[in-house]
Amino acid sequence: MTRPTPGSISRRGVLRGLLGGSAVGLTLPWLEAHASTCASGFPRRFGVFFWGNGNLPDRWTPLTTGAGWEPSEQLAPLLGLRSKVTVCTGLEVKVPNVSPHWSGAVGLLTGQDLDGADEGWSVRAPTVDQVLAAEIGNDTLYRSLQIGIADAECFSYSGANQPNYGETDPFALYQRLFGDTFRDPGGSGTVDPSLGFRRSVLDAVLGDLGRLSSRLGTEDRIRLEAHTDGVRGLEQRLARLQEAPPDLAACVRPEAPPESIPDIDGRIQLSRRSRAMSDLLAMALACDQTRVFSFSHHRALSNVLFPAASDGHHNLTHNEGGAQPEVHEATVAVMEELAYLLGALDAVDEGDGTLLDHALVMAVSEVSEGRTHRLDEIPLLLAGGACGKLVTGHHLRSQGNENVNHAMLSVLRAFDLSLPSWGADDTTVDTGWAPLEL
Amino acid sequence: MRVLTGLTLVALVGCNAEEPPADTAPPSQLLPEEPAAQPSPARLRRLTTAQYEASARHVLGDQVAMPSTLEPDGEAIGFASAAAAIDALSALGVERYEDAAYFLADQRVADADAMAAWLPCAPVDAADTACVAASVEVLGERAWRRPLEAEEVDALVALWAELAQADSPPTAWRYTLAALLQSPYFLYRVEVGEEGLLRPHEWATRVSFLLWAAPPDDELLAAAADGSLDTAEGRAAAVERLLADPRFEAGIRGFVTEWFHLERLDDFDKDPLIFQHAHPELGPAAREETLQLAAWLGTSDADWRELLTSSVSFVDPRLAALYEVPAPTLEGFGPVTFGPERRGVLGHVSVLSGHSHATRTSATGRGLFVRSTLLCQPVPEPPADVDTSLPEPDTTSPTLRDRLTTHLEEPGCAVCHLITDPIGLGLEQFDAVGRFRTLEGGAPIDPSGELDGASFADAAELGGVVAEHASLPGCWVDRWWVYGAGGDPPYETNEWLAETFVASGHQLRPLLRAMATSEAFRRVESEGARR
Repeated sequence: MTRPTPGSISRRGVLRGLLGGSAVGLTLPWLEAHASTCASGFPRRFGVFFWGNGNLPDRWTPLTTGAGWEPSEQLAPLLGLRSKVTVCTGLEVKVPNVSPHWSGAVGLLTGQDLDGADEGWSVRAPTVDQVLAAEIGNDTLYRSLQIGIADAECFSYSGANQPNYGETDPFALYQRLFGDTFRDPGGSGTVDPSLGFRRSVLDAVLGDLGRLSSRLGTEDRIRLEAHTDGVRGLEQRLARLQEAPPDLAACVRPEAPPESIPDIDGRIQLSRRSRAMSDLLAMALACDQTRVFSFSHHRALSNVLFPAASDGHHNLTHNEGGAQPEVHEATVAVMEELAYLLGALDAVDEGDGTLLDHALVMAVSEVSEGRTHRLDEIPLLLAGGACGKLVTGHHLRSQGNENVNHAMLSVLRAFDLSLPSWGADDTTVDTGWAPLEL
Repeated sequence: MRVLTGLTLVALVGCNAEEPPADTAPPSQLLPEEPAAQPSPARLRRLTTAQYEASARHVLGDQVAMPSTLEPDGEAIGFASAAAAIDALSALGVERYEDAAYFLADQRVADADAMAAWLPCAPVDAADTACVAASVEVLGERAWRRPLEAEEVDALVALWAELAQADSPPTAWRYTLAALLQSPYFLYRVEVGEEGLLRPHEWATRVSFLLWAAPPDDELLAAAADGSLDTAEGRAAAVERLLADPRFEAGIRGFVTEWFHLERLDDFDKDPLIFQHAHPELGPAAREETLQLAAWLGTSDADWRELLTSSVSFVDPRLAALYEVPAPTLEGFGPVTFGPERRGVLGHVSVLSGHSHATRTSATGRGLFVRSTLLCQPVPEPPADVDTSLPEPDTTSPTLRDRLTTHLEEPGCAVCHLITDPIGLGLEQFDAVGRFRTLEGGAPIDPSGELDGASFADAAELGGVVAEHASLPGCWVDRWWVYGAGGDPPYETNEWLAETFVASGHQLRPLLRAMATSEAFRRVESEGARR
């Protein structure tokens, strides 16, 4: 199903290749830790902030280029964070635009064309967050976290047919991260015999997984390997909870969000949910529970009803007339939530800077103009600069619709990955985007 | 994640097939014989959420509350059951299965006396491992849908003993149950077979989920173990029992829920400022209506195409008010007869609202439902790089038909929209919630149209036209097969089952009997044999 991809560093891709040949009975090694660390000793974090259905390019692109960019109407909510946000415009997702929304999303986040548009599609390779999670996510409780606000689809894939769905319930996320097993930094590990009992159960489950796997064909074995990987990750998490937590000054147990944030008149409370999630995520990163996240405000093609909108978001992009004031308002509302998230990260002091300075948050949508599913002028914001790896506070404009994969390669290399190239076939690039790199 | 954009080629072939002899074939006539067919690929199928819940109840009892969140169901070729044979489980999904296992086990062990009464054998102390083994064997067979190997029993008893030693027998049960429920043998239906055929327990599981939407009961497991299912007669007898059992109704409901994506009605998103009938409870009620009709037609051996033509439905007071018919009961659901404007599921709130936008109808969405879900006819995706905007309603174009004229006159749009929109416009007399109306923007709505050469005057006639469509038998057979087997049917098998469906008067039981007892349904090709 998946063809070999030049330059892919997917662990599963490697495994798939071996299983396709004669090497069977292979066990998946737990990857060696590969820390990407800032000069101050803090880990580099990576996050994707995704929203569906694009923007209005004419009202998005900043009015000036270079440092101190003058915000456009749609980027106005980011004014206060301008010095930490680089706006990349004029880049294009170069894959064939055969499937509205999905071609763009897959092309942007995996660097490659999607697989099989007519009979349903899949990615051919992991999304950028999972490429990084496999490298820099192994020292923490969670290799990566997925969060969805309007829905559970996060556009995070560990490989073909391996979607990572997001947690949509802030209270459930709170309980997972800061519930009974949470220990304040500087203290000792969780002393709870049930953690050991759960590990014994998982050992039994791993035994079953191993026996079942030996009866399966290649594709099912790969699926079960992903399952096994998840169980091993859970087991390792339980072991780490029994150890002393990282001693991080900024880490405190946050206030619990409400147990329920109900819809009002059939409309989801997007802003309240998004902010509750942002606060939890900021503290999960501050406590070094994870270093990689995907945060999806609403999925590609989503018909979520914004508070004052007359129709679902996707419908509006296609059916609203004139200058599309409601579509514009929706984009602005999303940018307000991005600003809140970035602000929450920037409010965490870490040594020589803030958590945001030690991170790279990439805000993207799968199209630019939703009405026509344009893949040129693809919206791309890069916040934080990954502690001095990438340019911050600039508006960088591509003059010739350059391939967005160049920027993606710069992003990946900011985490010290020795990646020869990104993309596949015609979309492959082997150089980063020079204006972005320091 | 996959989006249904087109279906099998079988449906296309169906377009050219002869008109089915709808009323001529009595169910008792000799049915066609099964042709030879290619085996289907062996698959590992993770339980869908609905299947997980049915399985957990089967092990732990009907009274246990279900976990609120599991890995979301995916979708492939229209079915969660097919995606469950393709998608891998995420790390969060693993964690949620762990949470779910303890949530379920805790309910079982909360009351020590009730627990002791429930266990097949309740050990008197931590040393009583023979009794533990006896319980593990019974519970394990129910959970894993096959007898446990001796080593598997030993491993679980050793886990129990370790925990009973470290803590107490009730604690040991908590974790032993959690181990059973997190095992891949519980979470996956293993359909990999042996020498090209499903093993008896694998077949029993496939048939049980097909006909009952639930795991095999003790009797079926016993038949698998004692060799009864090794013969065609034994398998036929087992299928007969399942079809005659009241649980067959749950099987029909399970299929229709996936086929029509009725789970989406939990999120009823219609704007209450526009639609006075919109209410969070309307979606679940609408689902129940459609499921009750489908189950009633199936279990009473009616022509199942009456799904599209029935004047009878089953509604609660909320739906009765929307349909403007007298409420049949004060609470719950009862039968009603629709007025002349409404027939079958194309008049149900479930379908009409489920294929509308939040604030208005969608002729394209409704037409797509008829084409792809009911007739399995592929509709291409819209091109990615065109402006798809419709004009705003105004005095020159008050109705959706007026506004869609652009789509139908622009060649690039018409190529697809002519496939869907004329059908959807036939349903325009129902608003985005499903309420009947004759005017839009003050102008009368014209619901007439044509479907592949057959004209209809309104929605009620449209149901009849779809019911008689040549693509229908092959399509519905295909849908049942994908649901039951997790992938597309072999071409010859689909043709044969379609003939069987037609020859038996489009009744559900003869079709499912033929499918479940067919050789094709138990043949699988292991990878070694394929390559």
